[in-house]
Amino acid sequence: MAGAPNVRLRLSNRAENVLLVRQALSGLAEAVGLDPIALNDVSTAVTEACNNVVLHAYEGGEGPFEVELAAHENGLDATVRDHGSGIRPGVQTVEEVSGGIGLPVIQALSDSVEFRDVPGGGTEVAMHFDAAPAEPPEESGAEEGAELEAIDHGTPGDVTLMTVGPTSVARGVVPRVLSTLAARAYFSTDRISDTQLLADALVAHADGSTSAGHLGVGVSVAPRHLEIRIGPLQTGRAGALFGAAAMDGLGPVLERLADGHEVSAAGSAEVLDLKLAQRG
Amino acid sequence: MPTTAVTPSIGSRAGHAPNAQAEVAQLFERWQRREDESAREELVRRFMPLARSLARRYGRSSEPFEDLLQVASLGLLKAIDRYDAERGHPFQSYAVPTILGEMRRYFRDSGWAIHVPRGAQERALKVRDAQERLSNETGRAPTANQLAQYLEIDVEDVIDALQAIRAYETVSLDAPRGGGDDDVVPYGDTIGRDDERYELVELDATVSSALGHLPPRDRLVLQLRFVEDLTQTEIAERVGISQMQVSRLLRRSLDQLRALTDAPAQAR
Repeated sequence: MAGAPNVRLRLSNRAENVLLVRQALSGLAEAVGLDPIALNDVSTAVTEACNNVVLHAYEGGEGPFEVELAAHENGLDATVRDHGSGIRPGVQTVEEVSGGIGLPVIQALSDSVEFRDVPGGGTEVAMHFDAAPAEPPEESGAEEGAELEAIDHGTPGDVTLMTVGPTSVARGVVPRVLSTLAARAYFSTDRISDTQLLADALVAHADGSTSAGHLGVGVSVAPRHLEIRIGPLQTGRAGALFGAAAMDGLGPVLERLADGHEVSAAGSAEVLDLKLAQRG
Repeated sequence: MPTTAVTPSIGSRAGHAPNAQAEVAQLFERWQRREDESAREELVRRFMPLARSLARRYGRSSEPFEDLLQVASLGLLKAIDRYDAERGHPFQSYAVPTILGEMRRYFRDSGWAIHVPRGAQERALKVRDAQERLSNETGRAPTANQLAQYLEIDVEDVIDALQAIRAYETVSLDAPRGGGDDDVVPYGDTIGRDDERYELVELDATVSSALGHLPPRDRLVLQLRFVEDLTQTEIAERVGISQMQVSRLLRRSLDQLRALTDAPAQAR
Protein backbone atom coordinates (compact mmCIF):
# COMPACT_ATOMS: atom_id res chain seq x y z
CA MET A 1 0.00 0.00 0.00
CA ALA A 2 1.51 3.27 -1.08
CA GLY A 3 0.77 6.65 0.45
CA ALA A 4 -1.24 7.37 3.53
CA PRO A 5 -4.28 5.30 4.47
CA ASN A 6 -7.60 6.84 3.48
CA VAL A 7 -8.78 6.96 7.04
CA ARG A 8 -6.71 7.02 10.17
CA LEU A 9 -8.38 7.17 13.56
CA ARG A 10 -6.88 7.56 16.98
CA LEU A 11 -9.34 6.77 19.72
CA SER A 12 -9.64 5.76 23.29
CA ASN A 13 -10.44 2.07 23.76
CA ARG A 14 -13.94 2.83 25.05
CA ALA A 15 -16.57 0.36 23.90
CA GLU A 16 -18.65 3.04 22.16
CA ASN A 17 -15.73 3.86 19.88
CA VAL A 18 -16.12 0.57 18.05
CA LEU A 19 -19.31 2.02 16.60
CA LEU A 20 -17.32 5.02 15.42
CA VAL A 21 -14.86 2.75 13.61
CA ARG A 22 -17.75 0.89 11.97
CA GLN A 23 -19.30 4.16 10.83
CA ALA A 24 -15.99 5.35 9.37
CA LEU A 25 -15.72 2.04 7.55
CA SER A 26 -19.28 2.33 6.22
CA GLY A 27 -18.51 5.86 5.01
CA LEU A 28 -15.39 4.63 3.24
CA ALA A 29 -17.24 1.68 1.70
CA GLU A 30 -19.94 4.00 0.44
CA ALA A 31 -17.39 6.41 -1.03
CA VAL A 32 -15.42 3.73 -2.86
CA GLY A 33 -18.28 1.45 -3.85
CA LEU A 34 -17.52 -1.63 -1.78
CA ASP A 35 -20.22 -4.25 -2.11
CA PRO A 36 -22.40 -4.84 0.99
CA ILE A 37 -21.33 -8.45 1.56
CA ALA A 38 -17.66 -7.49 1.43
CA LEU A 39 -18.37 -4.60 3.78
CA ASN A 40 -20.08 -6.99 6.17
CA ASP A 41 -17.00 -9.25 6.18
CA VAL A 42 -14.63 -6.35 6.73
CA SER A 43 -16.82 -4.73 9.33
CA THR A 44 -17.25 -7.96 11.32
CA ALA A 45 -13.52 -8.68 11.31
CA VAL A 46 -12.54 -5.10 12.19
CA THR A 47 -15.14 -5.08 14.96
CA GLU A 48 -13.58 -8.22 16.45
CA ALA A 49 -10.11 -6.67 16.36
CA CYS A 50 -11.43 -3.49 18.00
CA ASN A 51 -13.41 -5.39 20.63
CA ASN A 52 -10.27 -7.20 21.52
CA VAL A 53 -8.53 -3.88 22.16
CA VAL A 54 -11.50 -2.60 24.16
CA LEU A 55 -11.66 -5.69 26.35
CA HIS A 56 -8.10 -6.82 26.73
CA ALA A 57 -5.38 -4.48 25.48
CA TYR A 58 -5.24 -2.35 28.60
CA GLU A 59 -6.29 -4.95 31.13
CA GLY A 60 -9.48 -3.21 32.06
CA GLY A 61 -8.02 0.29 31.89
CA GLU A 62 -8.25 3.01 29.27
CA GLY A 63 -5.70 3.56 26.54
CA PRO A 64 -5.39 4.71 22.94
CA PHE A 65 -5.72 2.66 19.81
CA GLU A 66 -5.42 3.42 16.13
CA VAL A 67 -7.31 2.18 13.13
CA GLU A 68 -6.15 2.64 9.56
CA LEU A 69 -8.28 1.90 6.54
CA ALA A 70 -7.01 1.96 2.99
CA ALA A 71 -9.03 1.14 -0.11
CA HIS A 72 -7.21 0.51 -3.36
CA GLU A 73 -7.63 -1.42 -6.57
CA ASN A 74 -6.30 -4.60 -4.97
CA GLY A 75 -8.74 -4.60 -2.11
CA LEU A 76 -8.92 -3.11 1.31
CA ASP A 77 -6.45 -3.02 4.16
CA ALA A 78 -7.48 -2.51 7.76
CA THR A 79 -5.05 -2.21 10.63
CA VAL A 80 -5.93 -2.04 14.32
CA ARG A 81 -3.09 -1.12 16.64
CA ASP A 82 -2.93 -0.79 20.40
CA HIS A 83 -0.16 0.14 22.78
CA GLY A 84 -1.08 -2.15 25.62
CA SER A 85 -0.59 -5.82 26.33
CA GLY A 86 -2.75 -6.80 23.36
CA ILE A 87 -2.89 -10.25 21.92
CA ARG A 88 0.49 -11.82 21.58
CA PRO A 89 0.42 -14.38 18.85
CA GLY A 90 4.10 -14.96 19.46
CA VAL A 91 3.19 -16.28 22.85
CA GLN A 92 -0.17 -17.77 22.03
CA THR A 93 -1.25 -19.44 18.89
CA VAL A 94 -4.80 -19.09 17.74
CA GLU A 95 -5.39 -22.63 18.94
CA GLU A 96 -4.32 -21.73 22.43
CA VAL A 97 -6.73 -18.85 22.69
CA SER A 98 -9.55 -20.34 20.68
CA GLY A 99 -11.73 -20.36 23.74
CA GLY A 100 -12.44 -16.88 22.44
CA ILE A 101 -13.72 -16.61 18.91
CA GLY A 102 -12.38 -13.19 17.94
CA LEU A 103 -9.22 -14.41 16.29
CA PRO A 104 -10.80 -17.30 14.39
CA VAL A 105 -13.44 -14.86 13.12
CA ILE A 106 -10.76 -12.44 11.89
CA GLN A 107 -8.88 -15.30 10.25
CA ALA A 108 -11.98 -16.69 8.61
CA LEU A 109 -13.21 -13.37 7.19
CA SER A 110 -9.97 -11.74 6.08
CA ASP A 111 -7.95 -12.96 3.12
CA SER A 112 -4.76 -12.54 5.08
CA VAL A 113 -3.91 -11.32 8.53
CA GLU A 114 -0.69 -10.54 10.31
CA PHE A 115 -0.17 -10.00 14.00
CA ARG A 116 2.79 -7.82 14.78
CA ASP A 117 4.38 -6.46 17.92
CA VAL A 118 4.34 -2.68 18.17
CA PRO A 119 7.68 -1.16 19.17
CA GLY A 120 7.38 0.02 22.75
CA GLY A 121 4.59 -2.42 23.51
CA GLY A 122 1.30 -3.32 21.97
CA THR A 123 -0.06 -5.32 19.09
CA GLU A 124 -1.00 -4.58 15.53
CA VAL A 125 -3.54 -6.65 13.63
CA ALA A 126 -3.09 -6.03 9.90
CA MET A 127 -5.92 -7.45 7.83
CA HIS A 128 -6.17 -7.58 4.06
CA PHE A 129 -9.38 -8.16 2.16
CA ASP A 130 -9.28 -9.05 -1.54
CA ALA A 131 -12.69 -7.57 -2.35
CA ALA A 132 -11.85 -4.61 -4.53
CA PRO A 133 -13.89 -1.42 -4.40
CA ALA A 134 -15.74 -0.47 -7.58
CA GLU A 135 -14.28 3.02 -7.48
CA PRO A 136 -10.92 2.93 -5.71
CA PRO A 137 -9.96 6.42 -4.58
CA GLU A 138 -7.18 8.30 -6.29
CA GLU A 139 -3.90 8.08 -4.55
CA SER A 140 -3.66 11.32 -2.72
CA GLY A 141 0.09 11.48 -2.32
CA ALA A 142 -0.47 12.62 1.25
CA GLU A 143 2.45 11.86 3.48
CA GLU A 144 2.18 9.84 6.62
CA GLY A 145 2.63 12.58 9.06
CA ALA A 146 1.97 14.98 11.76
CA GLU A 147 -1.69 15.70 11.02
CA LEU A 148 -2.95 13.82 14.05
CA GLU A 149 -0.72 15.80 16.38
CA ALA A 150 -1.71 19.09 14.74
CA ILE A 151 -5.39 18.57 15.49
CA ASP A 152 -4.99 17.15 18.96
CA HIS A 153 -6.84 19.38 21.41
CA GLY A 154 -4.41 18.35 24.07
CA THR A 155 -7.31 17.98 26.46
CA PRO A 156 -7.95 14.69 28.18
CA GLY A 157 -11.35 13.05 27.90
CA ASP A 158 -13.39 11.77 25.02
CA VAL A 159 -11.25 12.87 22.06
CA THR A 160 -11.28 11.35 18.60
CA LEU A 161 -8.61 12.24 16.04
CA MET A 162 -9.01 11.41 12.40
CA THR A 163 -7.29 12.11 9.12
CA VAL A 164 -9.13 11.35 5.94
CA GLY A 165 -8.63 11.77 2.24
CA PRO A 166 -8.95 12.26 -0.62
CA THR A 167 -12.00 14.51 -0.68
CA SER A 168 -14.19 11.84 -2.28
CA VAL A 169 -13.56 9.63 0.76
CA ALA A 170 -13.86 12.48 3.26
CA ARG A 171 -17.32 13.24 1.87
CA GLY A 172 -18.48 9.78 2.91
CA VAL A 173 -16.59 9.46 6.18
CA VAL A 174 -16.63 12.85 7.93
CA PRO A 175 -20.43 13.32 8.14
CA ARG A 176 -20.88 9.80 9.49
CA VAL A 177 -18.18 10.16 12.12
CA LEU A 178 -19.34 13.60 13.21
CA SER A 179 -22.99 12.60 13.41
CA THR A 180 -22.07 9.55 15.50
CA LEU A 181 -20.24 11.84 17.91
CA ALA A 182 -23.15 14.30 17.87
CA ALA A 183 -25.45 11.44 18.85
CA ARG A 184 -23.07 10.58 21.65
CA ALA A 185 -23.20 14.20 22.85
CA TYR A 186 -27.01 13.84 23.19
CA PHE A 187 -27.75 16.15 20.29
CA SER A 188 -31.32 16.14 19.02
CA THR A 189 -31.98 14.96 15.48
CA ASP A 190 -32.13 18.51 14.13
CA ARG A 191 -28.77 19.34 15.65
CA ILE A 192 -27.34 16.05 14.36
CA SER A 193 -28.50 17.12 10.93
CA ASP A 194 -26.80 20.51 11.40
CA THR A 195 -23.63 18.66 12.33
CA GLN A 196 -23.87 16.66 9.10
CA LEU A 197 -24.38 19.85 7.10
CA LEU A 198 -21.38 21.38 8.82
CA ALA A 199 -19.33 18.28 7.93
CA ASP A 200 -20.41 18.58 4.29
CA ALA A 201 -19.39 22.24 4.21
CA LEU A 202 -16.03 21.57 5.84
CA VAL A 203 -15.18 18.77 3.43
CA ALA A 204 -16.33 20.78 0.41
CA HIS A 205 -14.34 23.88 1.29
CA ALA A 206 -11.26 22.44 2.97
CA ASP A 207 -10.25 20.86 -0.34
CA GLY A 208 -6.96 22.50 -1.31
CA SER A 209 -6.61 24.25 2.05
CA THR A 210 -5.00 21.48 4.01
CA SER A 211 -1.28 21.67 4.45
CA ALA A 212 -0.77 17.93 4.72
CA GLY A 213 -2.88 16.54 1.90
CA HIS A 214 -5.44 14.84 4.10
CA LEU A 215 -8.06 16.59 6.16
CA GLY A 216 -7.50 16.34 9.89
CA VAL A 217 -10.50 16.39 12.18
CA GLY A 218 -10.19 16.30 15.96
CA VAL A 219 -13.35 16.07 18.01
CA SER A 220 -13.83 16.34 21.72
CA VAL A 221 -17.20 15.28 23.10
CA ALA A 222 -18.94 16.42 26.26
CA PRO A 223 -22.66 16.19 27.04
CA ARG A 224 -24.47 18.62 24.72
CA HIS A 225 -21.17 19.96 23.33
CA LEU A 226 -18.84 19.13 20.48
CA GLU A 227 -15.54 20.83 19.84
CA ILE A 228 -14.24 20.23 16.37
CA ARG A 229 -10.73 21.10 15.26
CA ILE A 230 -9.94 21.19 11.56
CA GLY A 231 -6.37 21.27 10.33
CA PRO A 232 -3.61 21.57 9.63
CA LEU A 233 -4.61 24.27 7.16
CA GLN A 234 -2.28 26.44 5.13
CA THR A 235 -1.73 29.78 6.80
CA GLY A 236 -4.53 32.14 5.95
CA ARG A 237 -6.83 29.36 4.82
CA ALA A 238 -8.80 28.81 8.03
CA GLY A 239 -10.45 32.22 7.78
CA ALA A 240 -10.78 31.80 4.03
CA LEU A 241 -12.53 28.46 4.59
CA PHE A 242 -15.14 30.30 6.58
CA GLY A 243 -15.56 32.86 3.82
CA ALA A 244 -15.70 30.19 1.12
CA ALA A 245 -18.54 28.51 2.94
CA ALA A 246 -20.55 31.73 2.75
CA MET A 247 -23.45 31.53 0.34
CA ASP A 248 -24.81 34.44 -1.61
CA GLY A 249 -27.74 35.77 0.31
CA LEU A 250 -27.31 33.32 3.14
CA GLY A 251 -24.12 34.56 4.71
CA PRO A 252 -21.56 32.38 6.40
CA VAL A 253 -23.24 29.00 6.53
CA LEU A 254 -20.60 27.54 8.84
CA GLU A 255 -21.13 30.33 11.33
CA ARG A 256 -24.85 29.62 11.51
CA LEU A 257 -24.33 25.92 11.99
CA ALA A 258 -21.70 26.34 14.70
CA ASP A 259 -21.92 28.15 18.01
CA GLY A 260 -18.49 29.67 17.88
CA HIS A 261 -15.25 29.51 15.99
CA GLU A 262 -11.65 30.48 16.39
CA VAL A 263 -8.58 30.37 14.17
CA SER A 264 -5.22 29.70 15.75
CA ALA A 265 -1.68 29.05 14.61
CA ALA A 266 -0.30 25.54 14.89
CA GLY A 267 3.37 25.56 13.99
CA SER A 268 3.72 26.64 10.39
CA ALA A 269 0.05 25.99 9.72
CA GLU A 270 -3.23 26.94 11.34
CA VAL A 271 -6.25 25.19 12.73
CA LEU A 272 -9.92 26.09 12.84
CA ASP A 273 -11.83 25.36 16.03
CA LEU A 274 -15.59 25.08 15.91
CA LYS A 275 -17.96 24.66 18.82
CA LEU A 276 -21.35 23.07 18.50
CA ALA A 277 -23.88 22.92 21.28
CA GLN A 278 -27.29 21.40 21.74
CA ARG A 279 -29.58 24.38 21.99
CA GLY A 280 -32.72 24.63 24.04
CA MET B 1 -3.03 -14.53 32.64
CA PRO B 2 -4.84 -11.46 31.40
CA THR B 3 -3.73 -11.75 27.79
CA THR B 4 -5.30 -15.11 27.11
CA ALA B 5 -8.92 -14.20 26.58
CA VAL B 6 -9.81 -12.81 23.19
CA THR B 7 -13.54 -12.43 23.23
CA PRO B 8 -15.86 -13.07 26.08
CA SER B 9 -17.25 -16.20 27.44
CA ILE B 10 -17.99 -18.63 24.63
CA GLY B 11 -15.10 -20.75 25.73
CA SER B 12 -16.24 -21.03 29.29
CA ARG B 13 -19.54 -22.47 28.20
CA ALA B 14 -18.34 -24.47 25.25
CA GLY B 15 -15.45 -26.43 26.48
CA HIS B 16 -12.36 -24.38 27.12
CA ALA B 17 -11.72 -25.66 30.61
CA PRO B 18 -9.62 -28.83 30.52
CA ASN B 19 -12.29 -31.16 31.85
CA ALA B 20 -14.90 -29.64 29.55
CA GLN B 21 -12.51 -30.25 26.66
CA ALA B 22 -12.17 -33.86 27.70
CA GLU B 23 -15.95 -34.15 27.79
CA VAL B 24 -16.20 -32.69 24.30
CA ALA B 25 -13.59 -35.11 23.03
CA GLN B 26 -15.60 -37.95 24.52
CA LEU B 27 -18.80 -36.71 22.91
CA PHE B 28 -17.10 -36.58 19.51
CA GLU B 29 -15.80 -40.06 20.02
CA ARG B 30 -19.31 -41.31 20.85
CA TRP B 31 -20.85 -39.59 17.86
CA GLN B 32 -18.23 -40.10 15.18
CA ARG B 33 -17.11 -43.63 16.14
CA ARG B 34 -20.26 -45.09 17.59
CA GLU B 35 -22.96 -42.99 15.91
CA ASP B 36 -24.48 -42.17 19.25
CA GLU B 37 -27.17 -39.62 18.34
CA SER B 38 -27.51 -38.43 21.92
CA ALA B 39 -23.84 -37.39 21.89
CA ARG B 40 -24.45 -35.37 18.74
CA GLU B 41 -27.43 -33.68 20.36
CA GLU B 42 -25.33 -32.83 23.35
CA LEU B 43 -22.65 -31.33 21.09
CA VAL B 44 -25.26 -29.21 19.33
CA ARG B 45 -26.59 -28.04 22.70
CA ARG B 46 -23.12 -27.16 23.93
CA PHE B 47 -22.03 -25.27 20.85
CA MET B 48 -25.29 -23.57 19.96
CA PRO B 49 -24.14 -20.44 21.85
CA LEU B 50 -21.17 -20.33 19.48
CA ALA B 51 -23.45 -20.46 16.43
CA ARG B 52 -25.73 -17.84 17.95
CA SER B 53 -22.84 -15.58 18.79
CA LEU B 54 -21.42 -15.83 15.28
CA ALA B 55 -24.82 -15.13 13.72
CA ARG B 56 -25.17 -12.04 15.88
CA ARG B 57 -21.70 -10.80 15.02
CA TYR B 58 -21.87 -11.47 11.32
CA GLY B 59 -25.49 -10.57 10.70
CA ARG B 60 -25.76 -7.55 12.92
CA SER B 61 -28.31 -5.77 10.80
CA SER B 62 -29.98 -8.80 9.29
CA GLU B 63 -33.68 -9.25 9.52
CA PRO B 64 -35.13 -11.59 10.46
CA PHE B 65 -32.36 -12.77 12.75
CA GLU B 66 -33.96 -16.20 13.15
CA ASP B 67 -33.28 -17.02 9.48
CA LEU B 68 -29.61 -16.36 9.88
CA LEU B 69 -29.49 -18.30 13.13
CA GLN B 70 -30.89 -21.27 11.27
CA VAL B 71 -28.12 -20.99 8.69
CA ALA B 72 -25.52 -20.76 11.46
CA SER B 73 -27.01 -23.87 13.10
CA LEU B 74 -26.73 -25.72 9.83
CA GLY B 75 -23.08 -24.71 9.72
CA LEU B 76 -22.65 -26.01 13.24
CA LEU B 77 -24.11 -29.41 12.28
CA LYS B 78 -21.74 -29.63 9.33
CA ALA B 79 -18.82 -28.77 11.57
CA ILE B 80 -19.84 -31.43 14.13
CA ASP B 81 -20.10 -34.07 11.43
CA ARG B 82 -16.86 -33.20 9.66
CA TYR B 83 -14.58 -32.27 12.55
CA ASP B 84 -11.51 -34.45 12.76
CA ALA B 85 -10.43 -34.68 16.39
CA GLU B 86 -7.32 -36.64 15.41
CA ARG B 87 -5.75 -33.48 14.01
CA GLY B 88 -5.50 -32.09 17.50
CA HIS B 89 -7.13 -28.71 16.91
CA PRO B 90 -9.90 -27.65 19.25
CA PHE B 91 -13.36 -27.90 17.78
CA GLN B 92 -13.95 -24.11 17.82
CA SER B 93 -11.07 -23.41 15.45
CA TYR B 94 -12.80 -25.67 12.91
CA ALA B 95 -16.36 -24.64 13.70
CA VAL B 96 -15.89 -20.85 13.42
CA PRO B 97 -14.80 -20.79 9.75
CA THR B 98 -17.32 -23.52 8.86
CA ILE B 99 -20.26 -21.60 10.38
CA LEU B 100 -19.09 -18.27 8.93
CA GLY B 101 -18.64 -19.93 5.54
CA GLU B 102 -22.22 -21.14 5.68
CA MET B 103 -23.50 -17.65 6.45
CA ARG B 104 -21.39 -16.02 3.76
CA ARG B 105 -22.69 -18.48 1.20
CA TYR B 106 -26.24 -17.78 2.36
CA PHE B 107 -25.73 -14.04 1.96
CA ARG B 108 -24.38 -14.51 -1.55
CA ASP B 109 -27.04 -16.98 -2.69
CA SER B 110 -30.07 -15.33 -1.12
CA GLY B 111 -29.48 -11.93 -2.66
CA TRP B 112 -28.88 -10.52 0.80
CA ALA B 113 -27.01 -7.57 -0.72
CA ILE B 114 -30.23 -6.59 -2.45
CA HIS B 115 -32.32 -6.99 0.69
CA VAL B 116 -29.99 -4.88 2.81
CA PRO B 117 -30.97 -1.53 1.30
CA ARG B 118 -34.63 -2.48 1.56
CA GLY B 119 -34.30 -3.38 5.24
CA ALA B 120 -32.35 -0.19 5.84
CA GLN B 121 -35.02 1.81 4.08
CA GLU B 122 -37.78 0.28 6.16
CA ARG B 123 -35.85 1.09 9.30
CA ALA B 124 -35.26 4.62 8.07
CA LEU B 125 -39.01 5.06 7.62
CA LYS B 126 -39.62 3.77 11.14
CA VAL B 127 -37.06 6.18 12.53
CA ARG B 128 -38.58 9.04 10.57
CA ASP B 129 -42.07 8.26 11.87
CA ALA B 130 -40.87 7.87 15.45
CA GLN B 131 -38.99 11.13 15.15
CA GLU B 132 -42.17 12.93 14.14
CA ARG B 133 -44.25 11.26 16.80
CA LEU B 134 -41.81 12.07 19.59
CA SER B 135 -41.38 15.63 18.32
CA ASN B 136 -45.13 16.13 18.34
CA GLU B 137 -45.50 14.68 21.80
CA THR B 138 -42.74 16.68 23.44
CA GLY B 139 -42.47 19.74 21.21
CA ARG B 140 -38.78 19.12 20.65
CA ALA B 141 -36.67 16.89 18.47
CA PRO B 142 -35.60 13.65 20.19
CA THR B 143 -32.00 12.52 20.61
CA ALA B 144 -30.67 9.44 18.83
CA ASN B 145 -30.73 7.58 22.15
CA GLN B 146 -34.38 8.45 22.72
CA LEU B 147 -35.24 7.15 19.25
CA ALA B 148 -33.28 3.96 19.87
CA GLN B 149 -35.09 3.38 23.16
CA TYR B 150 -38.47 4.15 21.70
CA LEU B 151 -38.00 1.79 18.75
CA GLU B 152 -36.03 -0.79 20.77
CA ILE B 153 -33.17 -0.80 18.28
CA ASP B 154 -29.44 0.01 18.56
CA VAL B 155 -28.23 3.60 18.42
CA GLU B 156 -26.11 2.39 15.52
CA ASP B 157 -29.26 1.58 13.58
CA VAL B 158 -30.65 5.04 14.33
CA ILE B 159 -27.44 6.67 13.08
CA ASP B 160 -27.57 4.55 9.93
CA ALA B 161 -31.19 5.57 9.44
CA LEU B 162 -30.41 9.27 9.88
CA GLN B 163 -27.69 8.80 7.28
CA ALA B 164 -30.11 7.11 4.89
CA ILE B 165 -32.77 9.74 5.42
CA ARG B 166 -30.35 12.50 4.67
CA ALA B 167 -29.41 10.83 1.40
CA TYR B 168 -32.70 12.00 0.00
CA GLU B 169 -32.71 9.46 -2.81
CA THR B 170 -32.94 6.58 -0.37
CA VAL B 171 -36.22 7.28 1.33
CA SER B 172 -38.73 7.83 -1.37
CA LEU B 173 -40.68 11.03 -1.20
CA ASP B 174 -43.75 8.99 -1.99
CA ALA B 175 -43.34 6.60 0.90
CA PRO B 176 -46.49 6.69 2.98
CA ARG B 177 -46.15 8.52 6.25
CA GLY B 178 -46.89 6.80 9.51
CA GLY B 179 -50.06 7.18 11.55
CA GLY B 180 -53.64 6.39 10.71
CA ASP B 181 -54.86 5.51 7.23
CA ASP B 182 -56.48 8.89 6.80
CA ASP B 183 -53.24 10.78 6.93
CA VAL B 184 -51.42 8.76 4.32
CA VAL B 185 -50.42 11.64 2.13
CA PRO B 186 -47.38 11.35 -0.09
CA TYR B 187 -44.72 13.91 0.82
CA GLY B 188 -44.83 15.39 -2.65
CA ASP B 189 -48.42 16.53 -2.07
CA THR B 190 -47.81 18.21 1.27
CA ILE B 191 -44.91 20.13 -0.16
CA GLY B 192 -46.92 21.64 -2.97
CA ARG B 193 -49.63 22.78 -0.63
CA ASP B 194 -47.26 24.23 1.91
CA ASP B 195 -45.79 26.56 -0.66
CA GLU B 196 -49.06 28.34 -1.05
CA ARG B 197 -49.36 28.96 2.65
CA TYR B 198 -46.27 31.07 2.70
CA GLU B 199 -45.58 34.40 1.32
CA LEU B 200 -42.07 34.11 0.07
CA VAL B 201 -39.74 36.90 0.83
CA GLU B 202 -38.04 37.85 -2.40
CA LEU B 203 -34.33 37.86 -1.95
CA ASP B 204 -32.00 40.56 -3.12
CA ALA B 205 -31.68 40.54 -6.90
CA THR B 206 -27.89 40.33 -7.04
CA VAL B 207 -28.07 37.49 -4.62
CA SER B 208 -30.64 35.48 -6.42
CA SER B 209 -28.16 34.54 -9.14
CA ALA B 210 -27.42 31.22 -7.47
CA LEU B 211 -30.41 31.03 -5.16
CA GLY B 212 -32.67 31.85 -8.10
CA HIS B 213 -32.01 28.41 -9.48
CA LEU B 214 -33.73 26.84 -6.50
CA PRO B 215 -37.47 26.32 -6.11
CA PRO B 216 -39.19 28.87 -3.85
CA ARG B 217 -39.77 26.40 -1.04
CA ASP B 218 -36.09 25.47 -0.92
CA ARG B 219 -35.12 29.15 -0.85
CA LEU B 220 -37.53 29.75 2.00
CA VAL B 221 -36.14 26.88 4.05
CA LEU B 222 -32.57 28.05 3.45
CA GLN B 223 -33.47 31.55 4.46
CA LEU B 224 -35.27 30.49 7.62
CA ARG B 225 -32.27 28.40 8.65
CA PHE B 226 -29.37 30.61 7.65
CA VAL B 227 -30.74 34.16 7.69
CA GLU B 228 -33.34 33.96 10.43
CA ASP B 229 -31.41 31.25 12.29
CA LEU B 230 -34.42 29.13 13.18
CA THR B 231 -33.84 25.54 14.25
CA GLN B 232 -34.82 22.79 11.84
CA THR B 233 -37.68 21.88 14.15
CA GLU B 234 -38.99 25.47 14.13
CA ILE B 235 -38.72 25.55 10.35
CA ALA B 236 -40.57 22.26 10.14
CA GLU B 237 -43.42 23.73 12.16
CA ARG B 238 -43.56 26.92 10.15
CA VAL B 239 -43.45 25.27 6.77
CA GLY B 240 -45.57 22.29 7.74
CA ILE B 241 -43.14 19.54 6.78
CA SER B 242 -41.12 17.19 8.95
CA GLN B 243 -37.74 18.09 10.42
CA MET B 244 -36.24 15.21 8.45
CA GLN B 245 -37.62 16.75 5.32
CA VAL B 246 -36.08 20.10 6.29
CA SER B 247 -32.77 18.33 6.85
CA ARG B 248 -32.90 16.72 3.44
CA LEU B 249 -33.93 19.94 1.70
CA LEU B 250 -31.10 21.85 3.33
CA ARG B 251 -28.56 19.29 2.28
CA ARG B 252 -29.75 19.16 -1.28
CA SER B 253 -30.01 22.94 -1.58
CA LEU B 254 -26.54 23.55 -0.15
CA ASP B 255 -25.10 20.92 -2.51
CA GLN B 256 -26.77 22.64 -5.44
CA LEU B 257 -25.62 26.08 -4.37
CA ARG B 258 -22.06 24.81 -3.95
CA ALA B 259 -22.14 23.27 -7.40
CA LEU B 260 -23.46 26.54 -8.86
CA THR B 261 -20.96 28.77 -7.11
CA ASP B 262 -18.02 26.41 -7.64
CA ALA B 263 -18.45 26.26 -11.38
CA PRO B 264 -17.50 29.90 -12.06
CA ALA B 265 -14.82 29.77 -9.37
CA GLN B 266 -13.10 26.91 -11.12
CA ALA B 267 -13.34 28.62 -14.49
CA ARG B 268 -11.31 31.53 -13.15
